[in-house]
Amino acid sequence: MKKIAVCYKWVLSDTDIRVDEKTRSLNMEKCKYQVNEYDRNGLECGVQIKKASGRELVGITLGKDTASSAKDALSRGLDSVFYLDDAALADIDKIGAAKALAGMIKKVGDVDVVICSEASSDDFAQQTGPRIAALLGWPSVSYATKVEVNGDSFTLERKLDDGIECVSVAAPLVITISPEVGEAPIPGVKDILGAKKKPANALAIGDTGLSADALKPASAIVSVLAPETSRKRQRMNPDGVSLDQAAAALVKELSQAGIL
Amino acid sequence: MRDIWIVAENPAWAATLVSAAKSLDADCAITAFVKGDEAAAKDAVTYGAASAFALPLPAAGLWEDYAPTLAEKAKTDKPAFILVSASRRGRDLAARTAALLEAPCFSDAAQLALSGNAFSCGTSVFGGTAVRTSSTSAPVVIVTLGAKSYEPAAADASRSGAVATLPYSAGAAKVTERKPRVKQSVNLPEAAKVVGVGRGFSEEKDIAAARELAAAIGAEVGCSRPIAEFFKWMPEECYIGISGQILKPQLYVAVGISGQAQHTFGVRDAKVIVSINKDEECLMHQNADYYIVGTWQDAIPAIVKAAKG
Ligand SMILES: Cc1cc2nc3c(=O)[nH]c(=O)nc-3n(C[C@H](O)[C@H](O)[C@H](O)COP(=O)(O)OP(=O)(O)OC[C@H]3O[C@@H](n4cnc5c(N)ncnc54)[C@H](O)[C@@H]3O)c2cc1C
Repeated sequence: MKKIAVCYKWVLSDTDIRVDEKTRSLNMEKCKYQVNEYDRNGLECGVQIKKASGRELVGITLGKDTASSAKDALSRGLDSVFYLDDAALADIDKIGAAKALAGMIKKVGDVDVVICSEASSDDFAQQTGPRIAALLGWPSVSYATKVEVNGDSFTLERKLDDGIECVSVAAPLVITISPEVGEAPIPGVKDILGAKKKPANALAIGDTGLSADALKPASAIVSVLAPETSRKRQRMNPDGVSLDQAAAALVKELSQAGIL
Repeated sequence: MRDIWIVAENPAWAATLVSAAKSLDADCAITAFVKGDEAAAKDAVTYGAASAFALPLPAAGLWEDYAPTLAEKAKTDKPAFILVSASRRGRDLAARTAALLEAPCFSDAAQLALSGNAFSCGTSVFGGTAVRTSSTSAPVVIVTLGAKSYEPAAADASRSGAVATLPYSAGAAKVTERKPRVKQSVNLPEAAKVVGVGRGFSEEKDIAAARELAAAIGAEVGCSRPIAEFFKWMPEECYIGISGQILKPQLYVAVGISGQAQHTFGVRDAKVIVSINKDEECLMHQNADYYIVGTWQDAIPAIVKAAKG
């Protein structure tokens, strides 16, 4: 049976990031790993393609702590998960990630549909899907908002800056979805329990046909700092100031600045 | 002297990318690749490109399928940088070209700098919570840049340079139809003042109050993503943020918006930010110049009255 491979990223949620006011550095201690939000739409898109075409649905991920991602991902409709969890991948860049994912896809075998989502919430680089397509030498359809499948034929719509492009293409292909492709249902109790029984397969770097050296980043991270904000943060209605007074003072400030 | 390539979705973006290239190396030789006909490519020459290629939109093919041709050409011409417009087609083409060249690609980058052969730039991470500065000495570096990332280079009609059309080899994906985007009546990126509506508005009809505020101060109305994407109370073109519109207005008034990084990213370059929110602790207040702690139901009428006063 042919397979659909959905790539998902195991990312740190950004809602609990604390910024140190003085150093502008980030404290991520409270942040938890989760399946990247857009990838949940990608997983659901995979479920729909599976329903319509009878393919097998596998999830693919790599990076730190991805072994612990399997249960969550499997509760979202996957038949199995393949993960590459190796400390050597801690600072992998976009070049390496796409190469390793392409290698994993080949290792899984019989994959003729790859689904990525537009972006991950941490880097928002919007590169992985098209990069994988280029490496596999398969057509790339990015920013897909509608995906229909009939056997090996795909009809897609993609949303671009100047409008909608309707595309028809046969598998194999790489689809990079936008979240509008369809909402991802929240897994129910049954899905979560069922996930425990599904296979989660560990792969090693060697399985990708690459060496750890070939996955070394081509760029170095110099710093990660919150942007300097020079906002005034002036409260217009502190205790004792009415809203009318606050509004008048605000309008005055804006007029003096030449804005109103 | 460095060779720098620019790949632009349109001539206006080419003007921005020419400035970016010159900021990296004032003496660089620029080769431009512009979506459109040779007249569009010629525009890039007037902005300062030494030569230019037209990349016409193929009638039945993906524009991004120029990527393999560009990558092959880059292997022989060896540009030091390929600066690409961060349009959707541009991003896809940049990523594919980067994969084929095994090159790093920095998306929507800022603060591009070159010291010797070491290139560095900043990219936003965690939804705009932080900027990651990266450095690389890779032989070819690809960077995508926003339409307003640099002051566009001025046109000089007396400049001349070779202009040709790049050959296109069609990929397997076929375009069967293109539906142009329906032009919206609001043009947020050009608006000097913008009022942003957030989930603090619990019903569609309440947006009338935001429109009243906007009318009183001469602003357009935009919104946070959930208002457009989930509630569909406003067109998608109206939502502001990292995955929506990136604005640079004189004034942004956020009403009932919590101020998550993904949203504030879209207005970080606003000259003045005002926040109206009942939650004293909300992030939007932290990112504002002036804020009012209160409900919009109370605050908007007061501001409208003061503005008309
Ligand atoms: C990958 C990714 C990309 C994203 N991109 C974007 C983007 O581009 N743009 C974007 O906007 N979001 C984006 N988001 C979503 C973003 O994280 C927030 O969820 C969203 O911005 C919240 O919208 P909001 O502030 O309107 O709603 P909420 O966060 O629900 O905030 C509502 C606010 O209204 C206040 N309020 C309630 N009642 C009143 C009242 N009567 N008067 C005054 N205030 C009141 C509340 O105190 C609260 O602060 C993205 C998310 C992800 C994961």
